[in-house]
Amino acid sequence: MQESGANETAAASAANDWRSEVFETQQAALVAYVNHLLGDLEAARDVVQDAFLRLCEADARQVRDHVLPWLFTVCRRRALDLLRRDRRMHALDEAELETLPAADPGPDLAADRRDAADRAGHFLDRLPPNQREVLLLKFQSALSYREISEVTGLSVSNVGFLIHTALKQLRHRLTEEPALASQTTRRTP
Amino acid sequence: MNIPPDDPRLTAYVLEELEGAERDAVGTAIHHSEALYQEAAAIRDTAQWLLAELQASPRPGLAPEQVVVVQAALEAKGEELDAEDLDRFDTPTSAAQEADGPGRLVPWPASWRRWLGWFGLAAACVVGGVWGWRWLLAPARPPMVVARNSTTQSLPQSVPPPAWVTEREVPPNDFAVPTEPTVPPEQAAAPEGDAALRPMTDIRMMMRYGLLPKGYRLVPEDSSAPPGSLSPPASHTQPAPTPVMRALDTQDQYRRSQPATGSGLEAGLAENPFHEVFRHPLSTFGLDADTASYSLVRQYLGRHQTPPRDVIRIEELINYFPYDYASPTGEVPIALHVEIAGCPWAPEHRLVRLGLKARGIAPLERPPCNLVFLIDVSGSMAPQNRLPLLKQALRLLVEKLSDQDSVALVVYASDSRTVLPPTPGSERGRILAALDGLQAGGSTHGSAGIQTAYQLAAAHFRSGGVNRVVLCTDGDFNVGITDRTQLAALIADQARTGVFLTVLGFGMGNFRDGTVETLADRGNGNYAYVDTLNEAHKVLVEQLRATLVTVAKDVKVQVEFNPAEVHSYRLLGYENRALRARDFNDDRRDGGELGAGHQVTVLYEIVPAAVPAPSALGVDPLRYQSPDARRMPPAREPDPGGELLTLKLRYKAPEANVSERRDFVVRDGGRSYAQASADFRFAASVAAFGMILRDSMYRGSSTLGGVIELAGEALGTDPGGYRAEFVELVQRAQAVLPGR
Repeated sequence: MQESGANETAAASAANDWRSEVFETQQAALVAYVNHLLGDLEAARDVVQDAFLRLCEADARQVRDHVLPWLFTVCRRRALDLLRRDRRMHALDEAELETLPAADPGPDLAADRRDAADRAGHFLDRLPPNQREVLLLKFQSALSYREISEVTGLSVSNVGFLIHTALKQLRHRLTEEPALASQTTRRTP
Repeated sequence: MNIPPDDPRLTAYVLEELEGAERDAVGTAIHHSEALYQEAAAIRDTAQWLLAELQASPRPGLAPEQVVVVQAALEAKGEELDAEDLDRFDTPTSAAQEADGPGRLVPWPASWRRWLGWFGLAAACVVGGVWGWRWLLAPARPPMVVARNSTTQSLPQSVPPPAWVTEREVPPNDFAVPTEPTVPPEQAAAPEGDAALRPMTDIRMMMRYGLLPKGYRLVPEDSSAPPGSLSPPASHTQPAPTPVMRALDTQDQYRRSQPATGSGLEAGLAENPFHEVFRHPLSTFGLDADTASYSLVRQYLGRHQTPPRDVIRIEELINYFPYDYASPTGEVPIALHVEIAGCPWAPEHRLVRLGLKARGIAPLERPPCNLVFLIDVSGSMAPQNRLPLLKQALRLLVEKLSDQDSVALVVYASDSRTVLPPTPGSERGRILAALDGLQAGGSTHGSAGIQTAYQLAAAHFRSGGVNRVVLCTDGDFNVGITDRTQLAALIADQARTGVFLTVLGFGMGNFRDGTVETLADRGNGNYAYVDTLNEAHKVLVEQLRATLVTVAKDVKVQVEFNPAEVHSYRLLGYENRALRARDFNDDRRDGGELGAGHQVTVLYEIVPAAVPAPSALGVDPLRYQSPDARRMPPAREPDPGGELLTLKLRYKAPEANVSERRDFVVRDGGRSYAQASADFRFAASVAAFGMILRDSMYRGSSTLGGVIELAGEALGTDPGGYRAEFVELVQRAQAVLPGR
């Protein structure tokens, strides 16, 4: 019984497996990315689920060859819409809007993140939001410069510049706080 | 090559983002300069640290029940693959099954050898293939599989870094995809042979046989996509669209995913809440005068259906009706009329009506019109209320054309065709004959036709005249996402050259009015929904002619409320027109367009400072700010006491790029509702109707019966009989929505 069930699943996924594989391999990265934008895991999950449901409906010929940037673009746009809507509904003031796409977490949140073994977050949180976002797209989601450009609407050279600058800042921070940095390096097997 | 140590290309090189000569040049430079070498190594170390950190941080992913939902959708999709998909899957697959030895892999594009290298299939295939990143990153990397992209893939343990790589002076140049930069998009997209598809499907086969590690990346980067890739050329060879264009594209994707009844973006379009003036003194939005929502509501109620919330846009309901505003007389092309009186659904509140009226143009002064109608003749346009109605409607317009106007007709379905080249209005017979010949049939490809239409409009451009493409559709664009992005870009580009876009929506089932509205906005245009011949007359003859002549563009309104007089305020409608306060003075930010004789009505509900009613706001009173402190007038001279608000209006002349600004100070004369003008009372009753339909939390004491009563008392002279029709509509709503 179990085997036949597994076979059926395998057959279905074989027929459609470029989508299935993208789902299996990318969903966690997408959730992490959207969560970074929204700071709300449940909302991020909804956005990502929605994006994959959209992917099921999308025309394969249109999407397939750039499915990753497509997914990230869909998620990003949705997340920004949610942020805007949120802000409109709560009518946060202008200063807060300036920090789009990601609001800086307060000190408490930053500390929580560190406790959750997210030491990268400690350093990333101090970068400007646009640098932080391209870094995450590059290193967490493994998009190419060109794909990041597609997702964010920045030019490829602009993406390259932001990543370069961000890595440089990150490097300086790491040398300033060697304790934190090395501690985490050791953690890695 | 002289590269400064701070050159972003160093990072790009380490991350394997460079190609061809540039990559070689940077690689060579790094190996000839101690400083650059150190820099590259430092970048590598940072990148490595970040990768490892991000990999180690928790990534919860979707909730299990969400995974189930998506997998079910994927499986459902898997069962309905069409022949084309299967083609794509199967043909290359058989090729892959033959390719079981490394020797078969060599002819593949260089970029794919890189893939194979990652998977540890054959070290020989990757000779030098992944030089920079692997050399810089891999030896010190932890043995985990880090990411799904080749650019950040760690080297599998089984393939040690070749010792010789550090000794090479010029890094090998097999990253370049030779055809990619030089082949024009048309050619790149042309061949659809197996060869083009082989790499991807071979990877898929490897996957199937368990040769790929989890976390592989399925789709090649654009830069390394083999020639003949099936994706549209734009995604590979055209510069990335601007963020604005992308916005449309993606929002549209969201809309398209939603059921026809629509729970798209507008679904979540919450009503504007009350804002406390003390915290949010400014209300900013783009002024626009679309009216499609009213027709949609009428259509739903006519079918005895409850209109979905997202089609009920209160500002469009209010602006459906003409009000008696005097036209401007001075230099300013827009006149402002203000009336303040009691609020019928919340007696302790005040209602502010702002009426803006654009300068009209006498018929004789009307500049020549160069109109190109782009007409959807796909099969879905066949029903009576679509193409046949459109043909009747256009007849009405043709009757009004003068000899100096010209009209062209372009139809689109499975292909696009110019049915009528630009023809002067004097040749009415030819225009009507062409109209009569239109028939629905075929599928829709909106973008090809729109290019033809714009070309015609440009070819017959009338400087000083009206140049406009009028898109008539049921909204059923059978075009893909990328095409839609291009379409939006095209529309915006054309608007910059002076050819604007108007969209007329027909039919209902699949009319995505959010999409169409966005397209029209992008083209500095407007859109309307046409459901009856009466409506067609209103839109095409009464309005379109006026609308065609834009007298002010990028019209924006910013209202500053005086906290000494106003506790809080609420803008009725205009939710999707909201602007940030600072966008008001930013001329790059789009506002609305006002056509000749156009008028726009705006309602604000105000809680006076003397009657703070926090309960009505849904927010508890503040603990640390006393109401008295909030009522302190701002330190400003002269004392603004008695001023209710200041309205700031910005607009551009049709050809201008710099906006003009006018400020108006408004005081409350203390009128009661009963003392207000008929126009005011009628607009208020329409707003109440909209709130009742939306079941708004702000509807207060309003009921449909009350609306009928109030509107019935406010018919005025009712030219055109629209107000009387409104009363009938509310009566119908009573039957559809008993108890409201």
